[in-house]
Amino acid sequence: MKISNLHKSYGKFSLQVEDLSLPAGEIYGIIGPNGCGKTTLMKAIAGLLEPDSGHIDYNGLTPRDITMVFRKQYLIHDTVLHNLVYPLKIRGIKPDEELVKRYLDIAGLWESREEYAPGLSSGQQQKLTLVRALIFSPGLVLIDEAFSNLDMESAATFEQLILEKQRSSPATYIICAHQLSHIQRLCGYILFMHSGRIETQGPASQMLTQPENSKLKSYLQYASLKEGVTD
Amino acid sequence: MKRNFMLYLAVFVCLIIVLSACGGTAQPTQPAPAPVAEPASTPEPTPDPEPEPQTGTITLATTTSTEDSGLLDFILPNFTEVTGWDIRVISVGTGAALQLGRDGEADVLLVHARTEEDRFVAEGYAERRHDVMYNDFVIVGPSDGAIAHNDDIEATFMAILDGNLPFVSRGDNSGTHIRELQIWESLNVSPEDNTNYIEVGQGMGATLGMTVEMDAFTLTDRATWLAYPDVGNLVIVCEGNELLLNPYGVMVVSTTEHPVGAQAFIDWITNPATQQLISTFGVAEFGQPLFFPEA
Amino acid sequence: MTQILDAEVLAIITLTLRMTILSTAISSVIGVPLGLWLDRASFAGKRLVVMINRTLMASPPVVVGLVVYLILMRNGPLGFLRLLFTFEAMVIAQVLLITPIVCGIVYTASQRSSERIRVFALTMGADKRQTRSLQIKELSNEIFFAVITGYGRAMSEVGAIMIVGGNIRHHTRTMTTTLSLLRNRGEIEQAVFLGAILMLIAFSVQMIADFLRKRERRADENF
Repeated sequence: MKISNLHKSYGKFSLQVEDLSLPAGEIYGIIGPNGCGKTTLMKAIAGLLEPDSGHIDYNGLTPRDITMVFRKQYLIHDTVLHNLVYPLKIRGIKPDEELVKRYLDIAGLWESREEYAPGLSSGQQQKLTLVRALIFSPGLVLIDEAFSNLDMESAATFEQLILEKQRSSPATYIICAHQLSHIQRLCGYILFMHSGRIETQGPASQMLTQPENSKLKSYLQYASLKEGVTD
Repeated sequence: MKRNFMLYLAVFVCLIIVLSACGGTAQPTQPAPAPVAEPASTPEPTPDPEPEPQTGTITLATTTSTEDSGLLDFILPNFTEVTGWDIRVISVGTGAALQLGRDGEADVLLVHARTEEDRFVAEGYAERRHDVMYNDFVIVGPSDGAIAHNDDIEATFMAILDGNLPFVSRGDNSGTHIRELQIWESLNVSPEDNTNYIEVGQGMGATLGMTVEMDAFTLTDRATWLAYPDVGNLVIVCEGNELLLNPYGVMVVSTTEHPVGAQAFIDWITNPATQQLISTFGVAEFGQPLFFPEA
Repeated sequence: MTQILDAEVLAIITLTLRMTILSTAISSVIGVPLGLWLDRASFAGKRLVVMINRTLMASPPVVVGLVVYLILMRNGPLGFLRLLFTFEAMVIAQVLLITPIVCGIVYTASQRSSERIRVFALTMGADKRQTRSLQIKELSNEIFFAVITGYGRAMSEVGAIMIVGGNIRHHTRTMTTTLSLLRNRGEIEQAVFLGAILMLIAFSVQMIADFLRKRERRADENF
């Protein structure tokens, strides 16, 4: 995937990405302080907002192949089951019972499958939105802070799921999270954003352990102090 | 769900209360104790009860014709000027006006249904009825000549019935409606045999409006007729018959809380000066009086 | 009309139900799509249209009745149809009264949720038609509420149908116009009886509404 000269501004904020190339089949992490433009960039990639200018080349992916999960996402006013199979239904795919059970088990919602989805706890809602986005095996998945309401164990389950899916059928993942532990475990390549720009980028190992950029350094320093990431 | 159920229960209870309250109001059709008796619990009767303030507001229940014709607007300011009493007017059909009297909601009644008024007095709701004024009813209808102008009310009504001509009846127990029914009754016929006979259950003004729209016949008091702004194709087809005389009476309701004010109203409206005022109403605009003094 | 419940009263109740159901149905068929469309559409003067809609939602029935009267009267633009003082005239007046209510409620509800649903549907890869149908499905509770509110208005109003229907006995006399007539006649007892029946109908409508809604799942109760 190639992004060229992407520009989008709201009021004082402006996102500016001159040239970004993200080869398919990789798990990317986007990090950076609040308000640096992570979500805006992801929404632009997901096609949820029209950039003021610029171009994104999806290398053959259509909107049907792209999905995005937010911290708080809409749930259909229906059962958990209905929500889960919605992406399959609109693709005309008859949901496979085994598949459904497997995904609901991952989310810990098999028992609650007939419950009213918007009535779930926020953690359960988050798990549901995650499995719902993954069940149809999209080619490009954008995950914006969607682990934030999960406990460590559940988060680890989802990390496992993503890694496993990645192995079996390579797709591109772009993940943004404040908890660097997720990024560290999942992502091979990291983009660090600051003030609406991609400040620096590189392989995860190098970016997180031997940062050269001074802004990234100070960001990681604070993050590591808080979470003990660079253990 | 439980909460909803409680809500429904509450609604239901309210409904039942309303229904039982209705049973309560149905009772006082029995004659009320005519004069306001001194409550028995009062230990020593005071010979001079607290003198009533000399001014205040009295309530007049009257028929739509006095209000719709503009008579009340014309004469009532004079009442307040002369007596100092303010007056509140509720204008409804005669039936409703009498009911307001029975319910004690009005102090004075100005209505026009002689038999009903006499019954009202007989039942003890008022001490007596006073003549005030009269006007007359007219039959109005399309000017196409189906019925030529005449003074024979019975022939006119029969022509309407036999010709199956559209007739709009007030149908609201008003003085006008009662009079219309009396005329049919005196002819020993049922107006409902006429398939174009309709009851609209509305005031005189609204009924006239509908009659204009439908190009039909109706019985109206002359005052409302003359005051109605646009009568379209309608003309008077019958007038000047004895059966069409429309006397208005005034009564003080026995249960009034303002006997002084109510009496002041009677005295004022039957006073020659007021009677003179009544007889001038409408002359400037219509070239003829709408009401004739009778006190 | 001395009997509490005779054939005439039954006919009045039937007429009232026929009228209110018909006018609510027509209003819904017009108002629901209009409200959905209004949210989706963008055009010059949309704010004005929304403002007019809001105003019409609160329009006094008497005013609507008067307007319809003037249109349908003998010398009015549609006088040749000879619809004044008919069942049809009452339905027309009620439709004019209720459609803005249905439309306004649907518009507001749609405005509140459609964008979120659109974004969601986009992330799921739904096409335009699928997005549209999800939006409508997700609004079904609100649409239902709009229709019920419209029906309540149809059931309760008296001003408009009195003017355009004329309260003609055996033809255009409805429960509310009868009530007002009974009051004018001083027959309070019968009036209260009819009023109680009106309340019972309103109550039954709410019961049915609640029953249907429960089957549709209650959106708000779990929050």
